[in-house]
Amino acid sequence: MKRLFSSAVILLLMSAVLAACGGNNNKEVSGSSESPSSSSSSSPSSSNASTGEKVKLTMGSWRTDDKAVYEKIIKEFNKQYPNIEIEFAPTKSTEYNAVLSTALQTASGPDIIHLRPYAAGIALGEAGYIEPINDLKGLDVFSKDVLAASTGKDGKTYGVPMALNIVAIMYNKDLFAKYNLAEPKTWDELIQISKTLKENDVTPFAMGTKDSWILSLTQGAIGPSIYGGTEFAQGLVSGQKKFTDPAYVKSLQTMKDLQEFFPDKYTGIGSEDMRTLFVTGQAAMYVMGDFDLSVVKSMNPEMNVDVFPVPSQSAGGSPTVTTYVDGSYAVNTYSKHKEEAKKFLEFTTTKEFGNLFANEMKRVSPIPGVVASDPLVAKYAGFADSISTPYVMVTNFNGGNPTTKVTLENEMQAMYFGKKTPDEVAQAVQSITDTWFKP
Amino acid sequence: MDNQPKRLNQRKWSIHLFPIPALAIYLLFIVYPIIAAFSYSLYDWQGIKRLSFVGVSNFKKLLTVEPFNTMFQNALEHNVIYFVVQMVVQNGFAFLLAYFIYQRIKGSGFLKVAYFLPRLLSVIVVGFLWKLILNPTYGTLNVLLDKLGLDALALTWLGDPNTALLSIILVNCWFGVGLSLLIFLAGLQSIPSEIIEAARLDGVKGFRMIATMILPLIMQPLIMITVLTFIQSFEAFELVYAMQGSMGGPYYSTDTLAVFFYRTAFGGSSDGSASIGIGSALAVVMFALIAVITAFFLALTRKVNRS
Repeated sequence: MKRLFSSAVILLLMSAVLAACGGNNNKEVSGSSESPSSSSSSSPSSSNASTGEKVKLTMGSWRTDDKAVYEKIIKEFNKQYPNIEIEFAPTKSTEYNAVLSTALQTASGPDIIHLRPYAAGIALGEAGYIEPINDLKGLDVFSKDVLAASTGKDGKTYGVPMALNIVAIMYNKDLFAKYNLAEPKTWDELIQISKTLKENDVTPFAMGTKDSWILSLTQGAIGPSIYGGTEFAQGLVSGQKKFTDPAYVKSLQTMKDLQEFFPDKYTGIGSEDMRTLFVTGQAAMYVMGDFDLSVVKSMNPEMNVDVFPVPSQSAGGSPTVTTYVDGSYAVNTYSKHKEEAKKFLEFTTTKEFGNLFANEMKRVSPIPGVVASDPLVAKYAGFADSISTPYVMVTNFNGGNPTTKVTLENEMQAMYFGKKTPDEVAQAVQSITDTWFKP
Repeated sequence: MDNQPKRLNQRKWSIHLFPIPALAIYLLFIVYPIIAAFSYSLYDWQGIKRLSFVGVSNFKKLLTVEPFNTMFQNALEHNVIYFVVQMVVQNGFAFLLAYFIYQRIKGSGFLKVAYFLPRLLSVIVVGFLWKLILNPTYGTLNVLLDKLGLDALALTWLGDPNTALLSIILVNCWFGVGLSLLIFLAGLQSIPSEIIEAARLDGVKGFRMIATMILPLIMQPLIMITVLTFIQSFEAFELVYAMQGSMGGPYYSTDTLAVFFYRTAFGGSSDGSASIGIGSALAVVMFALIAVITAFFLALTRKVNRS
């Protein structure tokens, strides 16, 4: 009996090893030869926006918190197109990718898709699941950099950019006032501020290296100030510059040197602990994207937060903020109502939509000329318009297995433990990049 | 009278139909995914798109190409450490506790429940709670050490590659000690009291009693616990994932085969770098590894049973 039981338990557990890994992917994706996107010409028959017949669309998203805002946006959209009903049906962020790709593999899924930015979203487009929208009315308002988030190598654009993420340095205004500090204009001033804060027992940077993604984000924000922003980034993308370039290595060294201004035991501090240190006033500066602003404010509504760009290390150099697109609106190629879905996409390129988005969502819209009513969001947007530099790890180097981005993150963790030198980090990042990246 | 055996035969025949529903579910959800994963491991993949048949090249890549081979070796080492520490700490403790409870010390009923209690929590909850306790700045453990004047011992438990893996394994021991204890206790209680009584009359006591009498008599539950611990430690995933995320951080110091598999097959988070081919190859290697060693343990059980 015992034996029977134990063998049964063992068999069950053994099979569990593999049982978990098969389920998701047992559908072979149709090859590009029979790419479903070729059927796009058949859509006029389904176009009935003008005939007055009611059409119901669904919109898939990972933004579960934004339901109320999207309902407002859809209401606004319905003033122009009363016959196109849209249901906002978000999925939890961590599960969205899997749910969406499973649906697409079975030729279903929402009509309007929130597409992940850069490699992940473009991959869906290039696999033929997303309708190319190059000739969409209004798409020309966006800059090439912004559209790059949803444009494949073949030049097909798959989505309308939704929001910009902007990484800069948030700071606690009250703490700065208490110690007579002003926003730094130069790198030396930033270091001086950090020293003053440290002398007064305030942690200068709310920073921790336990969550690896924080490392590439912070490096993405601080790095350009050392290696010289956009120009160097373009060099990396075109293959003229390598990560082993002395300028890049120096940016890693600077990141390491900043550790004296990090909190005690920073290697065990994760992203949530970082935020806690900042909102409780234990740390004065917080290198983070604007997307965290609403969380900061909800945790401490009385807090006096402001933001400044990362000052340049070279004399007279322009300060920078690091930006990347947060996602885009796309049309499912299997949708029965592609024309109607495209009408919504056209709406998302308008200034009217941009204003609604910026003010309701408190996020920065990529549509030029949109003015946010929240002064801090407007400040972020102003930076994005004038001094933005791309977050290259997300925009161009989020490929390979493991990805270049992930390699940078883990190697930098090792750097902070003293296991790797900045030189070795740069070499590891370059060698993984060489395995997949083609300029 | 002539009819009887025939009817019996017929009835026997129909009996074989009854397992079909269960068998169908088993085939569909357990056998089929195993075979499917094996077949995936022989193909080249681009994201979620299956490309051409490539034979064993995914396996080759996993075992010989950087960074997969070092990650594989690193993760495998951690699984072995996981197993050894769990055997010594978790099962060692479980045996001692079971032995004390078996001696009917005061409150043994309460202790039995108390030790088993963590098992009732979800692993994710356990991971979350211990992440709070082990937090370097406001975690209970470090605050306590600080108050006791032992602040030199207040380490960055989960943020330091030297302590992170051990911290997670010890949490797992805390979580798993109850089940091992119950199995040991059941084994101890099934020993006929006459045998122990006789040994005691012969003057056997203390450590010798455990080593020469009790351990041989609970060989079967011991092997069963070993097998369960082995499988659990080689599939270790949830706690690492709950406490350190899919990177097995910091700097791969808590990576295990299952976490490595998850990361490789499904991509870190949302970056679309999934590599289903290599991931499936890894799953097949894990399956083979666990199956072979478990089979060895089973053979051992059979031998113990016979003797």
